[in-house]
Amino acid sequence: MVDKKNIIKLKNISFSYPDSYQKGPSLNGTDVKVLNDLSFELNANDKIGMIAPNGSGKTTLLHIIMGLCQPDCGVVELFGEKLTKEKEFALYRPKIGLMFQDSDDQLFNPYVIDDIAFGPLNLGFSQKEALIIAREILSDLGIEDLENSIVHKLSGGQKRLVALATVLAMKPEALLLDEPTAGLDMEVKTRIEGILKNLDIAFLVVAHDFNFLKSISSRIISMTEGKVLMDDQIHIHQHEHIHKYGHDPHTHV
Amino acid sequence: MHISEGVLSGQIMAAGGVLAIAGTAIGLKNIDYDKIVNIAILSSAFFVASLIHVNIGPSSVHLILNGIVGILLGWAAFPAILVALLLQVVFFQYGGLTPLGVNTVIMAVPAIFVYYVFSPFIWKSYKITFTASFFAGAFSVFFSAILLGSALYLTEKNFLEVTILILGAHLPVIIIEGIITGFCVTFFKKVYPEILPNLQKLE
Amino acid sequence: MIENEELAFKDSLIHKINPCIRILLAVLLSFWVALSTDFKFISGCFVLAFVFVFLASITPNDIFKRLKPLFVFLLMIWILLPLTFEGDMVFTVFSFDISRQGIEYCAMITIKSITIILFFMSFVATMTIGVMGHAMQKLNVPQKFVFLLLMTYRYIFVIGEEYQKLFRAAKIRGFVSKTNIHSYKTYAYLAGMLFVRASMRAKRVHQAMICRGFNGQFHTIDKFSLDKLSIIFFIIVLLFMTIYQWLIVKVLIF
Ligand SMILES: Nc1ncnc2c1ncn2[C@@H]1O[C@H](COP(=O)(O)OP(=O)(O)O)[C@@H](O)[C@H]1O
Ligand SMILES: [Mg+2]
Repeated sequence: MVDKKNIIKLKNISFSYPDSYQKGPSLNGTDVKVLNDLSFELNANDKIGMIAPNGSGKTTLLHIIMGLCQPDCGVVELFGEKLTKEKEFALYRPKIGLMFQDSDDQLFNPYVIDDIAFGPLNLGFSQKEALIIAREILSDLGIEDLENSIVHKLSGGQKRLVALATVLAMKPEALLLDEPTAGLDMEVKTRIEGILKNLDIAFLVVAHDFNFLKSISSRIISMTEGKVLMDDQIHIHQHEHIHKYGHDPHTHV
Repeated sequence: MHISEGVLSGQIMAAGGVLAIAGTAIGLKNIDYDKIVNIAILSSAFFVASLIHVNIGPSSVHLILNGIVGILLGWAAFPAILVALLLQVVFFQYGGLTPLGVNTVIMAVPAIFVYYVFSPFIWKSYKITFTASFFAGAFSVFFSAILLGSALYLTEKNFLEVTILILGAHLPVIIIEGIITGFCVTFFKKVYPEILPNLQKLE
Repeated sequence: MIENEELAFKDSLIHKINPCIRILLAVLLSFWVALSTDFKFISGCFVLAFVFVFLASITPNDIFKRLKPLFVFLLMIWILLPLTFEGDMVFTVFSFDISRQGIEYCAMITIKSITIILFFMSFVATMTIGVMGHAMQKLNVPQKFVFLLLMTYRYIFVIGEEYQKLFRAAKIRGFVSKTNIHSYKTYAYLAGMLFVRASMRAKRVHQAMICRGFNGQFHTIDKFSLDKLSIIFFIIVLLFMTIYQWLIVKVLIF
């Protein structure tokens, strides 16, 4: 217990989306709480995997951490600082790399190299430095051949690797990955698995693939009814009988 | 709807170019990069949607949709349309480089007109929404056709018959654009009202 | 549905020329021809345009495909203008008077428009929009506009795919395009859905940009530097055009 530096701390967070186009299941007019009195912590060296059904609020949780949406109540602390305002979040965001569920949301430049250099340039690095960082990351991930590729011509797997590279180029102290393996074939999955295993920063990875999470993380958690379930509250297992959750690994409380 | 390369006179090209640059400058002036992301991706949608062909008897026409762009973007319709037209030139060689300014004005001026005249009615009842956006769609195409005809006629008086023919050919398009715009804006209001301007008028 | 910029991925002399120089040349030459009313000068440029097309390794097939929309317009004016143009009658077909000025005007537009499009194809359609955007930025086009252009370009492909999916889904459920209100309504909803998804995506893209430290200042990496070949090419083309124009106007050798 030498280094127990706290990176992310959520205390009693509640959140519901303002009544909008997705009316959701709130039939009697009361908002459904997507996050309900949720608490969560990520410390240095934590490697956490999260597995939970679609719509249980995983993406929302990640967005709350990054300050992309404001909780109705509760406290968000990053690196020990309590944050509320956009300006405060802007200061800490670059230290936490969030990879979006859809790589097309993340990669907005026509060329791969521009997208990877975008983060470092925002951090104030010169063009030259940004290029060096970008190339370094590309070769770390074994995709240096994609440097001058056109993003819309990449395959889904390549886009995912490039999206990961754009996040790693920020040299973050923690990673939040939103379904990094969804829709990928075994080969790319294995590659991402290898990359994450060799990372020495803390992360929270959301995925539906139990074996993947088991191999990269030291702890697997889940979410239900807007709360995080810690690993001592659940046991997750895979079994081979037919089940109403289909082939998704699932949790039993 | 656009004018090809090599047709317009120097004066008309110059006038179109100046107006297009001025309109684009106004459209981008008070907008920060946060909003540009929205304008850009809506402009992509405009580009893709205007490749949609709808049947009309044995033939088909592609959608124009400058009315919708006007309602959604206001003055930002100018840069959005300019970018979409420029991409059409590069991808397909539709229109051209030298008439780009005139073509932008032909599409964008009616879009902005429609924004001011018809969008205030969007937040009334659904019937009024549909009617107003029908006229927004129909009128913007009609207005564009008039501008296109004028640009040709001012270049060469003998283009009169060609101009009349173009206007005539656009009559069914005007109706179709009205119908499509009517349904489309009503759809926005039902499904995703955030996309429409002046959300505060909703209540 | 969307052209994949196939001309940009060839390899030729023109492809080696600096993109800024190519854009400058395309703009200069296009307006030069568009503003000229001298038939001889334009005819010369017409020939020159084919030289550029050849230098850019563009095939007749590419040319024809890209000239098709123009041909529709040209056909219309060739049918109408000789009949309606005021001027000297040259001959009569089925009691219609054909005017000489009308024919001349049509010929002028035809040659002009083909020439300019060929210039454009050789110089600009031979680069991707990604490259074009960066070149425009170097040519001092305002950055906001370049950003808008590049981003629109990037998401055209994403939204194009979304459209294909939506359309396929409609077809699977038995949608057949006809001339009736139901068809128009379906297309209106398809188009509407594209705009809605675009707007929702814009929100997420912006969030993703913020997460990577974006704070309203857009920085990019400079690319391509000016090389000798490009400068020499630029000078040769402009010199040729100037001398040629001067010969025609001043010396009237033709
Ligand atoms: N922008 C939004 N507006 C309204 N409701 C939303 C929005 N995004 C997500 N939701 C709703 O919030 C719930 C949780 O969504 P999300 O966090 O995306 O779940 P997950 O990532 O676990 O699949 C879902 O019921 C979803 O419909
Ligand atoms: Mg999610």
